[in-house]
Amino acid sequence: MIRYILPLIALVLFFLEPVFGLFSPLQLDGEYYYIVPRFLLMFLIFVTVYYDAKRAMIYGLFFGLLYDVFFIDIIGLYSFLYPLMCLIAGYIVKSVHRNLFVATLLTLLLTALFEFILYLFFSVISLVSVPADIFLMSRLLPTMVANSLFLAMLGWAFKQVIVARLLERENSKSDVNKRRYI
Amino acid sequence: MSRFLSNKRLILLMLGVIVLVALISYSLRDRANVSFPEQIIKDTVGAGQSLFSGPAHFVTGIFDNVDSLLNTYKENQHLKGRLEEFAAVQAEVTDLRSENDQLKEIVGKEADLRDYNPIQATVIARNPDQWEEKIILNKGRSDGVEPDMAIMTARGLIGKVALVTASTSTVELVSTQNPNYRVSAMVLGGEEGVFGLIEGYDTERRELLLKRIDAQIELEVGQQVVSSGLGGIFPKGIIIGEITEVSIDEFGLTKLAYVKPAADFTLLNHVIIADRAMPDGDQAESEAAAEAEAAAEEDES
Repeated sequence: MIRYILPLIALVLFFLEPVFGLFSPLQLDGEYYYIVPRFLLMFLIFVTVYYDAKRAMIYGLFFGLLYDVFFIDIIGLYSFLYPLMCLIAGYIVKSVHRNLFVATLLTLLLTALFEFILYLFFSVISLVSVPADIFLMSRLLPTMVANSLFLAMLGWAFKQVIVARLLERENSKSDVNKRRYI
Repeated sequence: MSRFLSNKRLILLMLGVIVLVALISYSLRDRANVSFPEQIIKDTVGAGQSLFSGPAHFVTGIFDNVDSLLNTYKENQHLKGRLEEFAAVQAEVTDLRSENDQLKEIVGKEADLRDYNPIQATVIARNPDQWEEKIILNKGRSDGVEPDMAIMTARGLIGKVALVTASTSTVELVSTQNPNYRVSAMVLGGEEGVFGLIEGYDTERRELLLKRIDAQIELEVGQQVVSSGLGGIFPKGIIIGEITEVSIDEFGLTKLAYVKPAADFTLLNHVIIADRAMPDGDQAESEAAAEAEAAAEEDES
C-alpha cells in the first residue's frame, strides 16, 4: 500500500494546485497580489532530497507533461523544468548536510528560481510585459510567503512519509537479498 | 563538475533541450485544434479536476453565504429603495419587448443577433501559474461548445473559448495580453451605435482598451460598452463595461477609450457560455445583407 503513496500524494497535490489558484489574485488595498501554489514542485524536491533523484525526475516529467497539456498549452515547458529542478536539487544535496531545515531552504530557493525562469520565458515569448520590480512585489514575494507557510505546515509530514517509504524499500530489498542467499 | 557533466549526461541534456525547443515551437503555433493525445489527457485530467473543484466551490459558497448574510440588512434597505423604480422599468420593458416583437413581425425578421442559448458551466480550474489568463470549464464539444463562443457571468463578458475537447473547454479571459485577441464592441447611448474593437488590456489600470473608434465621434465617460455581435459568433448586447477615459490612439487617427470591465475576473466559479441562436450563421448573414440592400434600394427610389 505504502508503495504507491508517493505518486498518490503527487497526484493529489497536482489537483489541489489549481483549486488554490482559484483564490488568486488576492486584492488588498486596491493592489493585486498573485499567489501561485507550487505544492507539487516542493514535494518533488523533497522526494529528491530524501528518496531518489531519478524517481523524482520521472514523476516530474509525467506531471509536468500533464500540466503543460491541461493548463498552458505549451508542451515541454513544465515537463522540462520540473525534472531540471529535481536534477539541481539532487546535485546540491550531495554536498550538503541533509536535514529538514536545509531541505526546506533548498526547496524555497529552487521554487523562487523556478518562478524566475518562468517569468523570463514568458517575457521572451512576449506573452507578458511585466517590469521586474512589479514581478518581484506582486508575484514572487506573495508566492514565496504562501508557499513557505505551506511548507512549514506540511514539510515535516512530507519527510515522515518519504522516509517511511524509503525504509520500506530498504527492507524489501534486504528481504530479497536474504532470500537469494538462503 | 566533470562527474556532473559526464558524456552520457551531456548528450541526454542536449537531446532534452532540442526536444524541448521543438515541442515549444510546435505548441506556440496558433492552433485552433488540439491533437488527439492532448484531447485524451485534457479530458482525463478534467474529470479528475472536477472531483476536486466541487468541494472547493462548496467551501467558497459557504463563505459567500456568510458574507451575504452579514450584509443582508444594508442590502435590504438598498433594494427596497430600488423596488419602486424596478416596477416602472419592468412595465416599460414588457411594453417595449412586445412592441419590438410586433415590429419584427411586420418587417418579417426572424433571426436576431441578440438571441443565444445559454449553456451553464462550472469553472473546474484556473491556470495556477497565472501568467496566461485562462480558465477551464467542465463543458465541451459534446455539450455544444465551439471555439470563439462568448463566456460571461451575470455581470458581463469575461472571455471567449480558445480550445475545446469532448468534455472540457479552455477559456481565454479578456484580460489577456494576447495581441491577436479582439472583441467587436459598440458604445451605447447617443443617436446611433458607435463601433470599435476591444483590443488589449492595460494591466496597471486593469482596464480594457477600446480602439478603432472614428475620430469624429464624441464619446463620454460613463457610457456603456456592449458586444456588437458583428465579429462572428458573439451575440449582440453582452455588457463589457463602462468608459472611464477617452483619448487618441498612438497614430492620432482614431480614438481610444479605456473601458472598466463590468465583470470581476477573480474568484470565478459559475459562468454562462453564449451559443448564438442563429439557425445558420452564413445563411442568416447573407439574408441580412440582402435585406439591407433591398432597404437601400427602396430608399433610393
